[in-house]
Amino acid sequence: MTGTLKLLTQRTPLAILGAAIALAFVPSLGLPAFYDSLLYLILHWIVLATSWNILSGYTGYFSFGHGAFFGAGLYTSATLMSKWNWPFLWTLPAAALVACVLGVVVGAIVFRVKGIRGEVFALLTLAVTFVLGTVIVNTPIDGGNGVSLAAVEVPKIGPTPSSTFYLLALAAAAVTLLVAWAISASKLGAGLFAIHDDEDAAEVMGVPTYRYKLVALAISCALAGVAGGIHALFLNYVTVGEVFTITVPLTVVLMSILGGSRHWAGPAIGAVAITLLLYSFTAANYAVAGKAMVGVVLIAAILFMPEGILPRVQRAWARRRGAAVSAVGAAKAAPVPAATAAAAAGSQASSSSGSGGAAAASVSAGSPAPSGGDALPTGAVLLKARGLAKHFRGVKALAGVDVEVRRGEILGLLGPNGSGKSTFINVVSGHYVPTGGSVVFEGQELAGSAAHRIARAGISRTYQIPRPFGHQTVLDNVALAAMFGGGLPNPEVARRESMTWLAFAGLEGKAHVLPDELNLHERKFLELARALASRPRLVLLDEVLCGLTPAEIDDAVALVRRIRDQGATVVFVEHVMRAVMALTDRVVVFDHGELLAEGPAAEVMQRPEVMEAYLGQAHAPLGGAEPSAAPASSQGGAAATADATGTARPPGAPSSGLEPRHA
Amino acid sequence: MTLPSASLLAQSILSGVFIGALYGLLGLGLSLSWGLLRLINLAHFAFAFLAAYLCYQLSTQGMDPLMTLVIIVPAFFAMGALLHALMARFAITPFNSLLVTFGLTGIVEAIIQAIWTADFRKLESSYGEHRWKVAGLYVPLPELLTLLLAVGLSFAVWAVLRYTDIGKALRASAEDAPIAAAFGIHERRNSLLLAGTCSALAGVAGLCLALGFTLAPSQIYAWVGVVFAAVMLGGLGRALAPLIAGIVIGVSEAVTMAVTAPSWAPLVSFTLLIAILLFRPGRAA
Amino acid sequence: MLEVQNLQVAYGAAPALWGVTFELRERELLCVVGPNGAGKTTLINTLAGVLRAKAGRMVFEGRDITALPAHRFCEAGIALVPEGRRLFGSMSVLENLEIGSILPAAKAKRAETLAMVLALFPALKEKLGQAAGELSGGQQQMVAIGRALMARPRLLLLDEPSLGLSPLIVTELFGAIQRVHREGTAVLLVEQNVATALRVADRAYVLEEGRMVAEGTPDELMQRDEIRRAYLGV
Repeated sequence: MTGTLKLLTQRTPLAILGAAIALAFVPSLGLPAFYDSLLYLILHWIVLATSWNILSGYTGYFSFGHGAFFGAGLYTSATLMSKWNWPFLWTLPAAALVACVLGVVVGAIVFRVKGIRGEVFALLTLAVTFVLGTVIVNTPIDGGNGVSLAAVEVPKIGPTPSSTFYLLALAAAAVTLLVAWAISASKLGAGLFAIHDDEDAAEVMGVPTYRYKLVALAISCALAGVAGGIHALFLNYVTVGEVFTITVPLTVVLMSILGGSRHWAGPAIGAVAITLLLYSFTAANYAVAGKAMVGVVLIAAILFMPEGILPRVQRAWARRRGAAVSAVGAAKAAPVPAATAAAAAGSQASSSSGSGGAAAASVSAGSPAPSGGDALPTGAVLLKARGLAKHFRGVKALAGVDVEVRRGEILGLLGPNGSGKSTFINVVSGHYVPTGGSVVFEGQELAGSAAHRIARAGISRTYQIPRPFGHQTVLDNVALAAMFGGGLPNPEVARRESMTWLAFAGLEGKAHVLPDELNLHERKFLELARALASRPRLVLLDEVLCGLTPAEIDDAVALVRRIRDQGATVVFVEHVMRAVMALTDRVVVFDHGELLAEGPAAEVMQRPEVMEAYLGQAHAPLGGAEPSAAPASSQGGAAATADATGTARPPGAPSSGLEPRHA
Repeated sequence: MTLPSASLLAQSILSGVFIGALYGLLGLGLSLSWGLLRLINLAHFAFAFLAAYLCYQLSTQGMDPLMTLVIIVPAFFAMGALLHALMARFAITPFNSLLVTFGLTGIVEAIIQAIWTADFRKLESSYGEHRWKVAGLYVPLPELLTLLLAVGLSFAVWAVLRYTDIGKALRASAEDAPIAAAFGIHERRNSLLLAGTCSALAGVAGLCLALGFTLAPSQIYAWVGVVFAAVMLGGLGRALAPLIAGIVIGVSEAVTMAVTAPSWAPLVSFTLLIAILLFRPGRAA
Repeated sequence: MLEVQNLQVAYGAAPALWGVTFELRERELLCVVGPNGAGKTTLINTLAGVLRAKAGRMVFEGRDITALPAHRFCEAGIALVPEGRRLFGSMSVLENLEIGSILPAAKAKRAETLAMVLALFPALKEKLGQAAGELSGGQQQMVAIGRALMARPRLLLLDEPSLGLSPLIVTELFGAIQRVHREGTAVLLVEQNVATALRVADRAYVLEEGRMVAEGTPDELMQRDEIRRAYLGV
């Protein structure tokens, strides 16, 4: 399977180059100039749409500012040619540079502000377009009269001037498509797609989201700038009104959505379709109807085909080849020893919850290499949180807690709902920035660091409600963590290693499936596999067992034990007491954002203050934390109630505020 | 930069108020739709222009422009409700609603151009001939009408949202629709009413456009940016805010124009928009 | 009063209730207890019309309400105090209470009901004009209960009212719930905080992993293994 993949990925750039070379001969066919112009326009839009897609389609940050960057390139070229007599071809790199710098400046500011996504980002970038246009129109760059390039010489690249533009656009389109494809197959692309699906989770998995978005924007703008530079001379006379408008970005959006914005070739398909559509209407003197047609297409695309044409085609194609592919994949995919493979077959035979057997089998047979394993001896302090606090608009979710995590232990994090357990995990993993306090991990202060840095430092987490990247396969989900948290260089290597993690979690049979086809149990295990793929030294588990059946809980408990046995330290938040009793070496109990108790589970759960926190009510008003005073049904009083035969308190016993029931 | 005389400045400010009122009126429907229905209705502008053209058409056939509202308001109300009913069947995200309504704008623009061509059209009516001089400043009738309509409607909507049951129901649904339904609020019916109202407001804005401006299909987009700026400056889903924000923007633009040159005016609204979005992006959520 | 037969509800793809059958008798204060993830909120949300059942039947006061549209449940006499309060945070406390009584029948008696609610929760008297989102957790819970009471329901549904609240406030709230019950409203209370819940209940069910596994009076239940198992797995 990997062999086939390699071949395919090398075929694509060859195909693009081959097509470009073939198309380069079109001018020599001696067609009327009209064709050159039409083809030029198609290629021009391919460049614009594909370059837009590199940021907006891949990451989901739909920019309405593409006109600004295109216009910046256009006016850079125009100004250099008309005012400083630069030769045309030399203005192109300058156009790319100016557009790129502009993009980076805008992005550096905008991406820093949390909450600028979706429609806010779209409007902001649109506003930038209009601001830039206004500035240009009022300054000597344009001055309101436009810039005439009639006096500029068109270089002789093709037999005719119009064919020159065609060839230049062809080159630009080829470059753009190659870049778009290369990104989509690279680590950068994987990160961008993850940002699209769930930016916060991506950041926590180790993707440097700010940097990646900026890089994508820079590349996108540079390519748009080149298109602008070429277009300047093509138009011969440029005005602000034509360029700095809402139509450029919206057309580009339409083309990408129609073709499929997650795929590198989607915008190109959309560009060809829409340009031809519009042209056919204009040619037939129905330009107005053409505009309406475009509107209809856009509406239909959003309502009925929000993913675009290409994914649909791909899915239909994949379904036909489906059976063959997955059989091959299952056989070849696992570079794991026979025992695990047999177990894999076993888990495929039984349906969802049968991974207990598989899990047990693969313990003895090659488990993945230990993830912990450097200097710290077992028992040494791995993570130390001091005075850690997190406030939300007046609510003290964490009111200054001191927690120590020792290497090699399984630490339980307990407490009633709303006590701050999840907040603690969110703060340590970097999902939230703490309001105060410090977190020292392996000697390094991590509080306030960006989440992706924390992931790289060796801490990973699962989410209570699983947050897989919905548009990526199970395997790619894990590969992402391996690349970004674990530092592997590219998707191929990451995928190979990720199969072992999937096998560890019993999911190797579902490697090529999308997350929403998994049931809850499998999704939780995917979270686990993802958390492990980055080879963390500390794993934070947030209510992994919630919602699982008793059999599934047993599997999960066994899995957590194996995680520790491999060398990782585990902190887990849980409510299911039997799991807590079975797994933990120590527990800490939170209550109202503060640390209430700490120690071995059996002993801690018997303490009166802990029982009170769980039961919410003082029982016997004084003294004895007598087990008989606490009903057998208490959440916390595990060991204590083992001997209490559950003599319940008599009704009507005094307690503040509540009146006795009348039984 | 030349500093204008006091009376010129005062006149500029006044015209800024007038145009700001129109921004506010246009923004009202948009803000309600975005804030309470979670739909970013780019087609609002196209509808306003459609209404403007209809008003123009009817008045060339002898109807008094203000009377055209009798036809336009109910017609647009129905159209808005119908459109919303269709869109509601597809659970669209706010962002996608932006794209769908852009498509709709293209269609409406094409219809307008097909019927009335791309030529400029100006509604000639007796309204344009009246103007008064108040405290040394000129107050033309069409602009005054716009201001009165904008203020009146904004206050009416505000009162409905604030004091009536349906206003509270709309606000509750916008905040937490399932729980609002658990208390008996019929979200579907209420949102149809609201969608129709927003459309009707676009219709009224169209009348004001027709009274004061020369119409051309290409002009539709000229209003988008500045009205969005007013909507976001004021905050979504509120009734008086677009009006106030619109007037603020209108006056700033007018002053800028008086002090520098008209072509610098867009800079004001868009820079404001950028500033708001950078510093308070939460307002749009 | 309320009869539920074999209710099956799915939460997205994952099934949450696997055939729940129980009944609530006239004017009863019924408790459903169970651990996290058991399906308690799913059950209450289905009874309030917020979620749709995949299969099964709900009969309230002789009327089959299983297929009723969401906004008709309140009319039928059922009011919800949701988990996590879910107040309309940007609206004032008074407006939240008014929303509770927005239906015509309740609206007619609004003034009277409001007086009753303020008598029950005097702390709210001076907070009427404040935005609901700015109140403390305990006060918000009072508003949430008040909002439901404004609908003059015959059945009050409470979803984990003690969540995230300190023991003192919980006691106060449960006292209020008891008082409401004594006035004649049937109450279905879903809680993780077993002790407090069983203290006020007439009868209780234990829900575990989407199924009812035990039923009885609080005294009976305290003695039984199911609760220990549900919470401790022992």
